[in-house]
Amino acid sequence: MQWAILSGIEGNLAAYEAVLQDIRRQRNPVADLYIIGDVVGLKGDNEATIERVRSPRSGELEPQVCIGWWEEQCFSLHGLSGLPDAPELMAQFGGDGVKHLWKSVSRESVGWLRSLHFGFHELDCLLIHGSTVSYADELTPDTPAIQLCDRLIRADANTLFCGRSGLTFECWVTPGKLRSTVTTLDGKQEPQEQGKTPRRVVGVGSVGRIPGQATYTLYNPGSDRVTFNTVSYS
Amino acid sequence: MDSITLTAIAGPSGSGKTTWMSQFLSNRDRPLFYCCPGMGAASVDLARIAYCFPWVHLLPEEQTPQIFAKLPDRALVYLELGFHLDLTAPLLASLPCHRVAVVPSGLQTSPWHDWADEVIFGNDIATPTPDNLPELWRSPLTGQVFDAPSLDEIAIELTEGAYGQVQRVKGIFELPDGRAFHVDFVKGLPGIEYTELGIPRWLEGRPDRFSGIEVVGWNLEKKTIAQTLLAGCLSDGAIAQYQEQYKSLMKSETNQEESILT
Amino acid sequence: MKLAVISCIHGNYEALNAVLSDIDDRKADQIYCLGDLVGYGPHPNAVVEMIRSLDIPTCQGCWDEDIVEGLNACECSYPSQLAEQRGRVAHEWTNNTIHPEVREYLATLPMTLRLDNLCFVHGSPNSQHEYLLPSMDGFAALERILSTDADVLFCGHTHVPYVRNLEDGTLTVRVQQPGKDELETQFETPLKQIVNAGSVGEPRHGRPNATYVLYDTDTAQVELREVPYDYELTCAAIIAKGLPPIFAWRLARGMEFAERADDPSHVCQR
Repeated sequence: MQWAILSGIEGNLAAYEAVLQDIRRQRNPVADLYIIGDVVGLKGDNEATIERVRSPRSGELEPQVCIGWWEEQCFSLHGLSGLPDAPELMAQFGGDGVKHLWKSVSRESVGWLRSLHFGFHELDCLLIHGSTVSYADELTPDTPAIQLCDRLIRADANTLFCGRSGLTFECWVTPGKLRSTVTTLDGKQEPQEQGKTPRRVVGVGSVGRIPGQATYTLYNPGSDRVTFNTVSYS
Repeated sequence: MDSITLTAIAGPSGSGKTTWMSQFLSNRDRPLFYCCPGMGAASVDLARIAYCFPWVHLLPEEQTPQIFAKLPDRALVYLELGFHLDLTAPLLASLPCHRVAVVPSGLQTSPWHDWADEVIFGNDIATPTPDNLPELWRSPLTGQVFDAPSLDEIAIELTEGAYGQVQRVKGIFELPDGRAFHVDFVKGLPGIEYTELGIPRWLEGRPDRFSGIEVVGWNLEKKTIAQTLLAGCLSDGAIAQYQEQYKSLMKSETNQEESILT
Repeated sequence: MKLAVISCIHGNYEALNAVLSDIDDRKADQIYCLGDLVGYGPHPNAVVEMIRSLDIPTCQGCWDEDIVEGLNACECSYPSQLAEQRGRVAHEWTNNTIHPEVREYLATLPMTLRLDNLCFVHGSPNSQHEYLLPSMDGFAALERILSTDADVLFCGHTHVPYVRNLEDGTLTVRVQQPGKDELETQFETPLKQIVNAGSVGEPRHGRPNATYVLYDTDTAQVELREVPYDYELTCAAIIAKGLPPIFAWRLARGMEFAERADDPSHVCQR
């Protein structure tokens, strides 16, 4: 039994279908399907993708979906977040991007997206779009080691699955040792060793961002093994 | 009435009367009765005994003599006398009972000594002099559910003297996870004691069972105490939200190891 | 150079005066302030005027921010419902009391200040509301310092002063990516320090005395200072100004409310 972890469909229904098909073909059956954000985007038909995600066919897994960066942009455009007018979207994709996203996701669908969770704690794993710091937190193999370490501590998990970067990577972080000495008004306390066992950040890839090539992640909780799959489709 | 054993217990506030008596209430060999004259139909002690020892019969204080006449054979009756009650009252004088005084060991003589057949040394607390007896303030809190960190703060402020010189606090408080706690503070004894009452979790709206507080002390700012207590009570909306959370948490705990970030 | 770093004055003019005298006696060359000039205490205007008249570089605290931006701290920043209600009372009172030019000044305060290898913030480099408690995970604390590129991070906000040395750290990262060779990198971290300046006007260490810190930039020595002052004057002013008497009661015991401490990594979503 294993989990399939997807992110970044971005409205690319063909890519999502290709991944679903690849999941069905797995010899080791997939028991849980996670989509950690960015169901919508600018890569295709958002409404059709939302419909497909919300209504799996008989015999298909019910996806567990959480909020991503693109969903937050929808909330912002629809006045459902603290930040109005989606300035992040405007900065990255300009007025056309704003217009397209506004037109391509119905109010009803935005309501459904708003009802989704921020992430999932499952076994000793956290599955979340960015990190517990923010949906926009983009972790990559080039993120400073101490920052990866911090995100893992905040996640309170041994494995942090995230999707903001769209990259597939497995990054083991070992906070080997660190001596901490605290002095208060009552005097100096005994130094404490803060070292910890290895933990990892996993980038789960992106289903829809790169046309023709979808990436996603399989995770086997029994063996603790992570596998990345690349699916080509036309 | 020969086979009935009647024990009257008296002593200063916080000396340990209820604690001393409670040790006998677990033994269910004989029918058990409890009465606390002068405290009305709902007091913290009464409710606590009802919650902790549901087999103990609670006697209403009025018509006590008539009820005594109808007690079953071998009944064990405990009569707890509040510190404010006059030991020479006719009712007490007329009852054929074994008189137990629970007093601090430091107290050599007192009206309780004079009255008692047996003296038990309880908590070592300072005993107020008769000419400066503290006042008792109490308030029912039934239906109120407390924000736990607020209750903690209130208990600290109250017992450390923010609202008057407090000698004793006891109360029963409901928390949003459905549990109820007995809270006990005696000046001179370390800390504030929180004891979970072994009663079912109340997770359907405002609890319809007794909770309340009793404060004994001097110069109590009663209005401020009441306002502060209310400031620590949760709204209907908050209670509903917490109860939903705890219900789903308990469900997921029994089902599988999973939690969802909301 | 000898620095004095003060924080969390909270409108307590008596305490500020006592600390400034102590700083004079200790012959500090420069004072830095980590914010929270107002809130809870009875003399917000006088405190701000004093800080301005002495040209003390100051960063913005969460209370200063709320007075400028309106109270929008999420409820998660209070440890209890009771503390939240009292915080609202204090906010409203302060908001009605401060002069327009004081509000304007508070709006100009920066989030962080720098002096060579030293960085000054109110809560943490991430947020004015984040607590850097001495019990925080060492690596998480180290991340806060490294994110500023400084060697010493001065913070306040917890109202209890401390110094924390973090040294001899090693951190290994092993990256596996499809189609690429495995890459392992090891980092070593030199000594880094967090110095919490405590609180001048709202101590929370169980005594009424004001606290602040002295730092010698030449020797990197830190001294935690505890300064007695006539707190009863402040208590009397709290009551005279119509603030809740419980503020005075708690001030006299060094047990003022702080923000939620049990989840120091929580950053509110507002």
